[in-house]
Amino acid sequence: MTDLVMEARNVYKAYHSKIKKKEADSCGETPKQVVEAVKNVSLQIRKGDIKLIFGPSGSGKSTFLRCMAMLDIPDKGEIYLGAECLTKPGADLNKARARIGFVFQHIYLFRHLTALGNVELALRQVLKLPKEEARKRALAALTEVKVTDCINKYPAQMSGGQAQRVGIARAIARNPDIILLDEPTSALDPELTGEVIDTLRDLAKEGTTMLIVSHEMPFAREVAEEMIFYDEGKIVETGPPSLFFNAPNTDRAKQFMTRIINRTTRE
Amino acid sequence: MFEFLLNPIYQGWIVQGLLLTVEITLFGVLLGLILGTLLAIGDIYGGKLAKGAIAVYVEIFRGSPLFVQLFLAVYTVPAILNVQIDHYFLAFLVFGLNSAGYQKGYMKGAMETILGDQMQAGLSTGMSKVQTLRHVILPQALRIVIPSWTNEFCSLTKSTATLAYVGLFDLVSAGMAIKGITYQILPVWIVIGAIYLVWITGFSKIMDMIYERKKIPGIELVMQS
Repeated sequence: MTDLVMEARNVYKAYHSKIKKKEADSCGETPKQVVEAVKNVSLQIRKGDIKLIFGPSGSGKSTFLRCMAMLDIPDKGEIYLGAECLTKPGADLNKARARIGFVFQHIYLFRHLTALGNVELALRQVLKLPKEEARKRALAALTEVKVTDCINKYPAQMSGGQAQRVGIARAIARNPDIILLDEPTSALDPELTGEVIDTLRDLAKEGTTMLIVSHEMPFAREVAEEMIFYDEGKIVETGPPSLFFNAPNTDRAKQFMTRIINRTTRE
Repeated sequence: MFEFLLNPIYQGWIVQGLLLTVEITLFGVLLGLILGTLLAIGDIYGGKLAKGAIAVYVEIFRGSPLFVQLFLAVYTVPAILNVQIDHYFLAFLVFGLNSAGYQKGYMKGAMETILGDQMQAGLSTGMSKVQTLRHVILPQALRIVIPSWTNEFCSLTKSTATLAYVGLFDLVSAGMAIKGITYQILPVWIVIGAIYLVWITGFSKIMDMIYERKKIPGIELVMQS
């Protein structure tokens, strides 16, 4: 049990979207709408695990992932990083986030910094590495994701695939305990997803602990130890890829897999 | 007509007046930038009380004439408190406080276009909110705000004409003094106006150059002020 990297215990998160009265009247909804994105979800991740969360869009997968990194603060439940409880008052969230790599769907590179600057910044500011050392580690991370050709380019000058790989380099450069990836390929053109998937495959080979929200099914089949089907704020079914690709137990998972596999083969 | 320009005494007055105008504007805009940035951060992250106080501050300084603010600061407040404070210092302070009222809005607008995703990204790397503000948000916001800042500089420069009313010798005071002796009313104001024009145009051009050089490559930042 000591190899537990992260754990979520009964995590609950709801959004209160305030609808303007005028709009509310016209569409007949109550002025305050509660969206329950995460409903008492529990999950354990051990060292070296690669788990993949998938499910319909809008079901709360991203919110759950953001709760894991405490980028969204859960309303209820606990998040553990190793033995440390992040949801208890007074927890040092900055220190915790330094040990968690996060890759965003829409990449979110620092726009005023080059690829190198993007990776270096946290090494300098968070790990307090001296300049030379930070540069060396940033270059190593950028080499690992194979973007050495654009180390001096700014985010707006890169392709989506290059930018997302820089995003991954930024997440891995600190040698985090775990990397959380929120649909890392879904904002990219289909021909660019391949290069990002290759990078993730390399990370998987090295035994990186990862929790990935993704719908890249061939990739999931290849690297995920466990797939988690998430719908309406809950984990509906979990199991190895073979389970989902052959015969999921729940009807909802079955329907979803059928749709997604049809879509993939059509492409 | 323009013979007064050859008189060394008048030349001295013009230089003296111009120096005060330039000094007060530059220091005022700078103090306004620092204070305006702090106010913008306070308005974004502060509690209800802080937000309310900032709103009152901004409305007072934007909503009342600079001349009245200057008059109160130079004559009324020291009289009430029964203290002697250097008038130049008070004028500099009023210009800074006044400019902060405007610059808070520019900075807040600039920061809000950046904050959403860039703050998330900063926090995700383990940086604190303050570190992210310092290393990610402000470097981008300051670049965006340069054109608004240039406008603020132009408007503040011309507002220094109010300094004459509280007995400080700015460029307009120099003009009035020369006009009072030479009676060359139109030529004097043409010269004074031209000096403003040259100084403001020159400085704006420099700011435009800085803006172009500091612009984040690949991104067109469009901010209307």
